[in-house]
Amino acid sequence: MEAYALGALDPEERAALETHLATGCPNCAKAVEEARWLVSQLAYAAPEAAPSDMLKGRLMQTVRAEAQSHSEAKPHVMPARSIIPFWLWAAVAALFVFSLYSTWNMRRLQDEIRQSNDRAAALLQQRQKAEQQLAAAKREAMILMDPSSVKVSLAGQNAEGPHLEAICHSQLGIVVMGENIPMPSPHHVFQLWFIPKAPGAKPMPSMMTWPDANGKFVMLVSNPPESMEATKALAITEELEGGSPWPTATPRWSGGLN
Amino acid sequence: MFLAAFTSTGPREVSPDATLLSRLLQKDVNAFEQLYDRHSRLVYGLVLRILQQASTSEEVVQDVFLQLWRNAEQYDSSRGPFVPWLCTMARNRALDQLRLKSERQRRREDQPDELPPVVVAPDYEKALDEKRRAERVRSLMASLTPQQKKAIELAYFEGLSHSEIAAALQEPLGTVKSWIRNGLLRLKKGLQATT
Repeated sequence: MEAYALGALDPEERAALETHLATGCPNCAKAVEEARWLVSQLAYAAPEAAPSDMLKGRLMQTVRAEAQSHSEAKPHVMPARSIIPFWLWAAVAALFVFSLYSTWNMRRLQDEIRQSNDRAAALLQQRQKAEQQLAAAKREAMILMDPSSVKVSLAGQNAEGPHLEAICHSQLGIVVMGENIPMPSPHHVFQLWFIPKAPGAKPMPSMMTWPDANGKFVMLVSNPPESMEATKALAITEELEGGSPWPTATPRWSGGLN
Repeated sequence: MFLAAFTSTGPREVSPDATLLSRLLQKDVNAFEQLYDRHSRLVYGLVLRILQQASTSEEVVQDVFLQLWRNAEQYDSSRGPFVPWLCTMARNRALDQLRLKSERQRRREDQPDELPPVVVAPDYEKALDEKRRAERVRSLMASLTPQQKKAIELAYFEGLSHSEIAAALQEPLGTVKSWIRNGLLRLKKGLQATT
């Protein structure tokens, strides 16, 4: 959750977490709030620095002008009679209307520019997201369709429970899939491990994810170890959020590579 | 949970920021000036740390405070403290500016003008004044291992993801994740112990 609040999760992990948060999980929502507060405290780690006096001058000038426009926009009662000649009132009124119009026009233009920038940024983000999703879907499809892909069955601890299936391709990556997969315990994720063939070698940590609300589990590992030949098995354990550099629990699913 | 242990049950004192923000809703220029004087150094320091350029940093700070002046009603003081909210907004703006300059292609949920979510704080949040809080956070950051500190700084001040940090430091992805997670955990425990 801290990595999510920090903005450090990679797109696939971020998408998986946001999908889970969208289910309304109260524990995770609270954990995100905690994490946001913790991350906000990092602002104090920056060296304090004083902006120039000119910045304050510019800001206060803008703010005072806008406050004046705000107060002048309110209706007020004019005296019934005045010793000031009518032409002077007319000139002041014209000047006032002109200044109001100028201010309004300036703000309108600023708003239009800002809105245009917002729209462009939102469209860019949507496009990037769609491209990432499309790229992931394409890669999954290529892995599933490629004749050189190898299918590995990951058996669960409980023989009658749901099984997972991994389709491995030496260059394109690995897709792990399953149906009716139960959610991990609160504050936990499912983490994939590559078990090396070398005796005594440590398991290599990989992706983390959760099943969706319907129990569908899909994990795409686009950057598997360079040499899958050195891997003898895949395993999935339940780890604390954020993952672990080494397995801390018995695998929930595992399967050997032929 | 961590936060639950610090959830306030008694009456909260009204902070100076809350009073100033309520006046800001009435377009009180003096209240705005006081808020600026209270927090501009922190906000500018944060933005300058991210952008490393004074003129661009001042533009971002100006943008942040004008946003506050024009949309003060969008901040709900009853739901969380003001300063973390303000800093989150400033960081988001600065990182957007950084990405704009470097044309870095990276997905991000924050919209350029989107206000940040309210940050709910533990009860000891009010117990520390700004100066003591800054000293405490800096001291805790200095107590992290150099790798933990570097990884957290790359994520927070440069907006890099786990993978980008792993590439920048030429370290395994799992190791970088571990540094960030353990570093933040240590920071959390340190802040918790401050009470």
